[in-house]
Formats: sequence, C-alpha cells, structure tokens
Amino acid sequence: MQVKENRQLSKDIYALKVIGEFPYNEVQAGQFVDIKIGTGLEHPLRRPLSIACCDTLKEELTLIYRVVGAGTAWLSQRIAGDFVDVLGPLGTGFPLPEPQSSVLVVGGGVGIPPLYQLVREFDSSIQPHIILGFRDKFDCFWIEKFAEYGRVTVCTEDGSKGLKGFVTTALGSENEWDYLYSCGPKPMLRALKGHFEGTNIQGYVSLEERMACGIGACAGCTCLTSDGKGTKRVCKDGPVFLWEEVAL
Amino acid sequence: MSVDLSVNIAALTLKNPVMPASGCFGFGREYSEYYSLDMLGAVVVKATTLHPRLGNPTPRVTEVTGGMLNAIGLANPGLDRVLEEELPWLAKRNVPIVVNVAGDTVEDYCLVVDQICQSGLAHAIELNVSCPNVERGGLAFGVDPPVLRNLVEAVRPYCTLPLIVKLSPNVSRIQDVAMAAAEGGADALSLINTLIGMQIDLNTRRPVLANRTGGLSGAAVKPVAVRMVYEVAKTVDLPLIGMGGISTGKDALEFIMAGAFAVAVGTANFTDPYACPRIIRELTELMEAEGIKNLEEIRGCAL
Repeated sequence: MQVKENRQLSKDIYALKVIGEFPYNEVQAGQFVDIKIGTGLEHPLRRPLSIACCDTLKEELTLIYRVVGAGTAWLSQRIAGDFVDVLGPLGTGFPLPEPQSSVLVVGGGVGIPPLYQLVREFDSSIQPHIILGFRDKFDCFWIEKFAEYGRVTVCTEDGSKGLKGFVTTALGSENEWDYLYSCGPKPMLRALKGHFEGTNIQGYVSLEERMACGIGACAGCTCLTSDGKGTKRVCKDGPVFLWEEVAL
Repeated sequence: MSVDLSVNIAALTLKNPVMPASGCFGFGREYSEYYSLDMLGAVVVKATTLHPRLGNPTPRVTEVTGGMLNAIGLANPGLDRVLEEELPWLAKRNVPIVVNVAGDTVEDYCLVVDQICQSGLAHAIELNVSCPNVERGGLAFGVDPPVLRNLVEAVRPYCTLPLIVKLSPNVSRIQDVAMAAAEGGADALSLINTLIGMQIDLNTRRPVLANRTGGLSGAAVKPVAVRMVYEVAKTVDLPLIGMGGISTGKDALEFIMAGAFAVAVGTANFTDPYACPRIIRELTELMEAEGIKNLEEIRGCAL
C-alpha cells in the first residue's frame, strides 16, 4: 500500500495513512494489520498496528503507533508516496453493542487507536462515555476526534491535562453500564475488571503481546485463559477477548 | 526447459524439496488461508508431546538484527488432540505430513511415535531432540552422542515410518551427534534447530524474553547452518534436510549445494506468509536459468 501521510501527533506518536488495494469492507473494529519493516533481511518480524480508522469511502487506513524501537523508527520515516507491505486485516475484533445500550469506552496511551474505529461503528442511538488516559499533555492525541462520537473525559498521569491520575479515577460511582470496551496496558485492564466485578457489564479487552507470525500459527503471542489451564492466541483468537475468557 | 524438483528422503517421495520448518507453521490451518498446502514438498507440524503443553511465559518471541529469538517452549495441544483434530484435517490436504515429536523421557517419545505411526495419518516422524527452550527432554537428548543413540535405538522399533532426527547446533562437533543418530537407526537428519541466544532490554536492564534465553533463527544463522549441513554431509551417508535462515530460492540452492536433499523454511514464513511457494518458484526459475535439470545434479557439489 502507498503512504498518503505520516503525521507526528505527539512526542513519539504518529498517524500513518495508507491507501491502495485492501479489503476495507472486511475490517472489524479492533483488528490490526502487520507491517513489514525495511526492504532487506534486517527485520524479519512484521509490526502489528491496530486499525485506528478504516475509511471505506476514501479507501484509506489510519494506523497510529508509538516509536519504541528501530522498526517503528523506520516506519516513522516513511513519507507520502512510499510503499509499505501491509498484511491484514488480522485477528478478531470487537463485537458491536446492541442499539440503545449504555456504553463505556476506556483507552490508555497507544491502546486508544482501535477504539476510534469502534466508536465510529456504533449505532447512532449510542452515546458512549469515552475515557482516554495519557502520560501527560504532550502525549495526547485525537481527543477532539473522539468527542464527535461521545462524551470524552481525559486523564493524565501528571494532571497536566484533564483529571490527574489513571483512567480509573474518571469512572466515578456510575456503574450501570451495559458494555465496556477497553484497550491499554494490562494493569489498566486489570483495574477496570476489578472495578466492575459483580456488575452485569459485558467487558471486552484488547490485549497486546509481542507477535511473530501474526496469523495464529507460531504460538508466540499466546495468553492464558482465565482458569490458567489453556491458552488463546492474541493474534488470531484475539486481540479482543471477553474479559472473563483470559487471565489479566 | 522443465526441471525436476522431486526428491526422495528415505521412503518418502517429495514433489519438491521445500517444506515449512516445525513450529513455524502450526498444523497448517492458518497458512492454508494463504495458499493451497499441496504446493509444498511436505508439511512439518508443530512439535507434538504426549500431554498438552502451554509453553513458556510471554514475551516468548522477539526480533534481533537479521533474525528472531523464540522461547515458545513446545506449546502444543497434546497427542490426543493432534490425532483427533489436527492430523485428520491435514491428511485431507494431499501433502506428505511429517510429525515432529518431542518428549521428556524415552518412554514418552516411544509412545507418541508409536501412536502417530499407527494412526496412518502421517508420512514421516521428525524426532525433536534439540529444543533449547525446555528444562527436561528436548535438547538434553540432542547434545550427548551416546544419549542420542540410545533414544533413537529405543524409538526405532516403534517407528514404522521414515525416521528423521533433528539436530541441535548447540554442540561443539555436530558430526558426532549426526553419527550417533545414524548409528541409532535414523533414516534421515534435519538440521539445524535454533542456536541459543539472548537479548537484553536497555531500559529494564533485563532479558527481553521471560525465559531469558531463546532460540536464534532467521538470516543471521544461515552461514552457521550451511557450514553444519556441509560438515554432516561429509561425515554421514544419510539424506539431509537443511534449514536455518532460508528466505529465497538462492538460499535453498546454497543448502542443496552444501549437501541437503531438501530444505525447510522457518522464520521467513513470518516475514512473508507466501515464503514457501515463492521459494519453490524461485528455485525452479534459478534451475531453469542455470540449466540444472534435477536436484541430484547439484546436490553436494560444494563438498
């Protein structure tokens, strides 16, 4: 696919827009693509990037990623017109909520992007409460874009924007939700599960793990099932799971 | 000019010499969504053990320059499910099936090999005596020549199919373990399994892999693998399946020139899910361009 734009959104977070042949209509919110890094043999493992936005009309994908190592640094240097090798869509995404239901959406850091495609797909009868957690004000991105789809509360660890603290500080006492959709670091997902223990909420979590094949063959990215007796493949069975399915 | 890619590994006839390496291809289901498995010379399935294994804690894969480290730890659904669900599915794909077998004890190996041979669902057994990522079994059998010979001898009577022994490169003289496997009754040898490596995260100041060490594979190991195939080909008169960093038809040809009868493709499947059929095509084109009519013509020409 061809790079249309590769824009720096914050200190080390970029939004890559790619166009070209891709099964746009098959994308399910929460799925990811696997991108080949470089042209030679230096980087044999593709990088999984969640789909932040799949625009089926314009036929373009937006992928948001944080530069953490040599592979994502290479990606951040791609410019409009460059070609990238994109495999996907891969994995199992978020099942959508019933119309009219009350929905809470919680994202942390670079776990936020797939939730954007998710809220875009919600039925118009749904007005989600969207809680976005960032490190600090320099780490923030796409707050306004999310605000087009629901009520947004921002939290930063240092309080430099929005509420001070983790996303859990924004939960309040209102616990009567039908669905929770979340993506972010494991401790955040664990805290959310703990908070809503005993309620009737249907909770979905999207997990992150180092991957090799990205298609479910190599068993590299497995996670334990909640009983600890089996495993699920994050890349194929997930990355989205019902939170009672997996050990957090 | 048409070229003949077929090759015989003991009693096993392959229509071409390219197969995925064990552990990189699951039981074939996922890659069958990308291409028809009957294009392959054979399918080598994930290591199968007597009981299901969850494997090591994650992270258990990481990229290094020109390769990757894995410490999966022989995760697999166990013999019963492999026999009930995986092999019956794969057996309908019209491709020879090589079942990789691992165990903690000699008895485990014998039991698993016996049941797989009796199932009629496999065409060859690959004995995994070289997994570097498990405490018991695996590598423990593969680095000590007398121990390896005993294991192969013990398994041999149960193995009614061609018996391939997969060798570890984590030894000082691979010829010695190759010889031991041959003396134990192996029909063929495959090499190399991964080399033990480590990567440290500069931020956490700890090894990246939860298991600390992992097996190195990919382009980075290719020269080591070619050298080892060459050395074993000079020493042992058995068909060899060469592997280690093969990602192109040229790489495959290099292994064949070093003495390999067939080749296996591992890490390259992760970079390119179509790697195996592409390598078959590239090898065919190379042979056509070079005027090589069949593999025997060039096999071991570098020796």
